[in-house]
Amino acid sequence: MYTFDRNFEFEQNMNFSSFSSSPPAISNVQSVRRVKTFVLPDKCLEKRVGCAWRRGNQFAIYPRSQNVNKTTLETATKTDDKILNVRQDVVLFTPILRKLVNEANGTFLSVQKLVEISKSSDNQVEFLKLSRQYRSIIRVCIESLQEAAEKETDGLHKNTLVSYITIFYSIECIWHLCEILYIDIIPGEVVLPFLLEWVRFHFPCHEQTAAQLLEACERGSEDHPEYWDTVVGMVVQGRVDVARALLKLHSAADSNEFKLVDNSLRSMPVYSVYGGMSTGEFTITWKHWQAECRSKLSSRVLAQQPQLELIMRLMVGEYSAFESIRPKYSSWFDVLGGWVLFTAPWVRRRELGAAGAACAGLAPAARSHLDVMVRALLEGDLHQVIHEIQQISDNGWFASHLTDILYHCGKLQILDHQTDVTNRLRDSLILEYGSLLLEHKSLWSVGLSYLASCSPEGLKRAELLLERMPIETEAKAMRVMAEAKKYGLLSVAQSIPACVGARRLAARGAAGAGAALAWGARARCAALCSRAAHAALRAYCDARPLPAADLLLSAGATLLIDDTLLLLGKYCDFHRLYKNREFRKAAKLLISLITSNISPEYFWPTLLLDTLPLLETDEPVLSSDDTYEIMLCLELRSTCLSSEKADLLRLALARNLARTALIDVDDE
Amino acid sequence: MPLDVQGTFVSQKINKIRWIPEDYVETKHFFTGSWDDEENSIKVWSFESLNEDEDVEYPKQLSEYKVDGDVTNIKFLDKNSIAVSISSGDVRILEVSAYDRQTPLREVHTWKKLHNFSSEKCSCTTLDTLEGDIASIGEDGNINILNSRRGDITRSIKGADSCSLHAVCFIKLNEVITGNIRGHMKIWDLRSTNDKPVAAFLLAGDELAATCITRHPTQPHIILAGSESGALAMWDLRMNQFPTSLLNAHAAGVTEMQFHPENPNKLLTSSVSGEIWDWNMETLTKKGLDEYVPLDDKTALNVNSLMPTLHKAINSLHCDRGRILCGADNEAIYLIKNFKY
Repeated sequence: MYTFDRNFEFEQNMNFSSFSSSPPAISNVQSVRRVKTFVLPDKCLEKRVGCAWRRGNQFAIYPRSQNVNKTTLETATKTDDKILNVRQDVVLFTPILRKLVNEANGTFLSVQKLVEISKSSDNQVEFLKLSRQYRSIIRVCIESLQEAAEKETDGLHKNTLVSYITIFYSIECIWHLCEILYIDIIPGEVVLPFLLEWVRFHFPCHEQTAAQLLEACERGSEDHPEYWDTVVGMVVQGRVDVARALLKLHSAADSNEFKLVDNSLRSMPVYSVYGGMSTGEFTITWKHWQAECRSKLSSRVLAQQPQLELIMRLMVGEYSAFESIRPKYSSWFDVLGGWVLFTAPWVRRRELGAAGAACAGLAPAARSHLDVMVRALLEGDLHQVIHEIQQISDNGWFASHLTDILYHCGKLQILDHQTDVTNRLRDSLILEYGSLLLEHKSLWSVGLSYLASCSPEGLKRAELLLERMPIETEAKAMRVMAEAKKYGLLSVAQSIPACVGARRLAARGAAGAGAALAWGARARCAALCSRAAHAALRAYCDARPLPAADLLLSAGATLLIDDTLLLLGKYCDFHRLYKNREFRKAAKLLISLITSNISPEYFWPTLLLDTLPLLETDEPVLSSDDTYEIMLCLELRSTCLSSEKADLLRLALARNLARTALIDVDDE
Repeated sequence: MPLDVQGTFVSQKINKIRWIPEDYVETKHFFTGSWDDEENSIKVWSFESLNEDEDVEYPKQLSEYKVDGDVTNIKFLDKNSIAVSISSGDVRILEVSAYDRQTPLREVHTWKKLHNFSSEKCSCTTLDTLEGDIASIGEDGNINILNSRRGDITRSIKGADSCSLHAVCFIKLNEVITGNIRGHMKIWDLRSTNDKPVAAFLLAGDELAATCITRHPTQPHIILAGSESGALAMWDLRMNQFPTSLLNAHAAGVTEMQFHPENPNKLLTSSVSGEIWDWNMETLTKKGLDEYVPLDDKTALNVNSLMPTLHKAINSLHCDRGRILCGADNEAIYLIKNFKY
């Protein structure tokens, strides 16, 4: 016996690192080697330790001492032994992120419902709505994280919150790009406007400065230290109007050079599906425009204005120009929109790989997770994307939800040696996520709904996990049963009430018989009902009042679950009849109980002795046939009664026989 | 104005939710009691707008009172004090300051382990209050009548039921009705000294639990009970034994019922299946012996859904004029505004 004197929660921060700064894709060999070592913090664990799995993703470490049998209650309080409960620290279980978990669950279930009702029809619009819903949930989560981080005074805790914010920012960014490339409905597949929007939304460089400058609206704004950076930034973000407005604020805006650039910016052709122009036509116009720009450049008109020349060089899509501005930005995503805008504005969403490669190659930099993910996304390698997403320390929230929606949109197709494993990938991610949530005391129902969406394996898992869930109150038992029934887990819906009933019986003995019977009837569990009925009968034999009379008298068909229960129920009914002085009926019932032979051995004396008062009534109520039956039973089981009692009964039987020999009782 | 639903996630499964009544103004404050979590608590909230100019108001937590176990019910004793039943077997009386809602809840009285299996824990499943009296029931099958003013137990019916009790309601000051896990309803006269019910009847034939009981605000002989199966039963106690009507209503257990305080013909119900409905009870409760429901009037009993069905159970609802609060298992609370009554 080991003592549980202190249940020491020893939480470790598994695999938590801000993923944007962690090293690039780790090769398989490395990931195998990445093992963490923890030093057990207590002295008692220095010699020999044992380890045992607990429910879900946790285990206990305990000292293994050799003097096992010597532990008594006294030594138990003195010992220093501890049991360490080791579990993974799950980010998602922090209160702020629980909101995300719950809210996303609603959207997840809407996705499943949508899939169910629209198996055949194409519901891209609905999927887009739900994808946006997910993103807004992430946004809300980021907001509340920011709020909490502002309020937080503890430095360490604040850092954690800030790293969560970074994680969810990246998640939103990737989700948005995914949505553009895979879920959104893009007319003509021309992705540029969406891409520009993505860049503007997630990498809003210079936006504030531009707004300030425009608001001030002063001639000679070039004195502002960031004037040119802002103008270039606006051009790269494709905000041509803003860039032109900013150029007008330059003190030399009326000079020829400025007019030239302004003119070129103004005349840039913009593709629109509904513009009545075919792609081919647009391509020609656009190439023509760029050739014009190029000729202006080569004429060296702009040589006096290097900044204007830079803008012009960007406009003709010159790689070196992009290279020169790249150091001003923290990442290559900032210039991605500009690069596509000025090199291939007609590009379709599946053809972005080259642009991604070009932009990523602008500056040699350590590749972060985010880089790798965006590159993979642009190249259309969703397998790689999901692989990278799994490295994010969000306990699989992102990977499972994104994979699910992409899968249901029909955009995910992952092959492993020529076999389609998309289905399995999606299921495995969701199963993992669902099982994780099922471990939590409160989030179990959320986890269950994830598992249920991956039948049949999910339901099997749910069955195993639900059976092991600690249930403290009946209210919870009823709720778990309701959930189990909802998903057709009938074995769980039956085993839970059986457990609750058994526990009642174990805790309270015969006093718990009523509760045990009620639960046993729910579980349709004959074994439990029989045990409870035996407990009740034995209690009665010990001269205690018959328990659960209120239940038994209204039990009806429930009694048929088990013979002993039937006996108990009928015996209870006998008591009622007897108390109501309906001796005739009572006697009939008692005789049927005796002749049916369902009584357990220990209950025979009670049954036989109960005939005594009926034999001694003023009016005979037991017929001669009944008397013979009782005599037979008495002689067959004479050992169970003391000889004195047996003789008494024999006498009463003989007298009743004598009475009924003259006028027998009618068996009406 | 159409119904307006606003949800807020609170990171706790809400088992009970209650508006805190206010005398002359529309109340902004409410209680929540959580359940099924590592740590449960009763919280006081207030609806506050984030910015001055914004119309939308969000709940903000004012204070928290931690409890050991699930909060199984919250009922008002008077405007500022509540009786709370907890799954640890405790019943507590808590008071919220009338002037400053931010101050932590004050513990007025605690009955520790009022319900118990001697040493083992036993849940106090719910309670009801009437004019300062509290009737509490538990999984041990006992009924305790408590006096909130004196803080003592006025009467205790041990073994009132051999199973666990799950619903209780005062019919009058000296009569309570209880419902157990099998849907067995019993009426108890608190004046009589023998521990026998004055009447007993079954909720339905399916042996499922009675989850909540409520009495009609103006016709006290009419009692309604919700079942674990989602059915709604109504009795006229002048002729009990069989429900006058048994309606198969929700898809899963009824969690809470409330008659609208201003209009007794409106009944609100919430359920485990995530539905919240409003019923027009006029025809059901007004029906006398000589009246009948005309055959061509099929729409007589109309039921409206107040909110799109949630994926998780709605555990509680509370109504204050045109505003309904509900708390759900998806760790969110919802405010439904512009409800017509």
